[in-house]
Amino acid sequence: MGKQSKVLVIIPAYNEAENIVHVVKHMMETAPQYDYLVVNDGSTDSTLKLCKQENFHYLDLSINMGIGGAVQAGYIYAYKNDYDIAVQMDGDGQHDIAYLDRLLQPILNKEADVVIGSRFLEKEGFQSSASRRMGINILSMLIRITTGKKVMDVTSGYRAVNRMFIEIYSKDYPTDYPEPEAIVEAVMHLGVVKEVPVQMRAREGGISSITFKKSIYYMIKVTLAILVCRLSYGVRRGRRGEIEEGVVNDDTQ
Amino acid sequence: MIPNNLRVVLIVLVISYFIVILYFLKQKALNLKYTLLWLVAGLVMGILVVVPELLTKIIRIFGIQDNMNGLFIFSIGLIILILLSLTSIASRQNRKLRTLTQEMAILDKRVRELEESARKE
Repeated sequence: MGKQSKVLVIIPAYNEAENIVHVVKHMMETAPQYDYLVVNDGSTDSTLKLCKQENFHYLDLSINMGIGGAVQAGYIYAYKNDYDIAVQMDGDGQHDIAYLDRLLQPILNKEADVVIGSRFLEKEGFQSSASRRMGINILSMLIRITTGKKVMDVTSGYRAVNRMFIEIYSKDYPTDYPEPEAIVEAVMHLGVVKEVPVQMRAREGGISSITFKKSIYYMIKVTLAILVCRLSYGVRRGRRGEIEEGVVNDDTQ
Repeated sequence: MIPNNLRVVLIVLVISYFIVILYFLKQKALNLKYTLLWLVAGLVMGILVVVPELLTKIIRIFGIQDNMNGLFIFSIGLIILILLSLTSIASRQNRKLRTLTQEMAILDKRVRELEESARKE
């Protein structure tokens, strides 16, 4: 691997007209060696228009499918185009591209399959509200109980995965609020999940997808999803190794 | 037992139920695959109208004393079953729709790139 690793940064964007141009341009300036792909998730504002105008690389989903479906589209694209590493980074400017290398390092060193950028490891930068943190801690505990894996920032959408998980996620990625569930899925596939400290910013513009009103629904849905996901795998089954062979793809250039 | 005139009305209703289903099938407004459950439901209704004593016997096996209660329990159960199968169909279609949308978006990007390179040549 090393230098010839192909890296794709997936940037899901739903109604991010205020942020998307800045986010992508900032990335092109500071990390031009990596490819990026904006996934427009059926936005109703001018997100698509801006992507066209600026001549960005983008996928345009004609139906709004939620963050899970959008991110998965990016993984399918990464899989078909033979990327070695895929990074998902929110299109709202919360995630700082400066930490990209920190996210990639454990994968390049083959120390991890899935790397999660965590706000809570060094407790710096935007820490979210107390009630959010409590919710995140509950989910974190739940994941620890069900899978034995300790992850602090389970809702972080800033993560990097290797080729093995590009394939796994391109075939099966959770919907609605996918982040915590995707961790369970990774552990169940015997992936090595690692957290690295990053700082996040408060949103630069637009509105967060999770309003206070939805938070109760969020907790119930995600708790159920984690339990169902854990149960559906039953006794841990390993897929390590068997997936890396036979990765042949001929339908894209 | 059921009075004869009521029985005639019920038989007519069940027959028209089947006619409606067959009409929808003929119009291709219903997929035969998804209609099987409704046909089975109609069959059960038909049998019960013709031999209502059967219902009494089955209900007694389950320990239900009142005929009407038994009828309601069984019909509600059947309806829940059909609704569950409908939800499952909707979920599966949702999944397929997602895959289609994603594949279409990827194709769309490829078309744009091809157009771009064709323009350059």
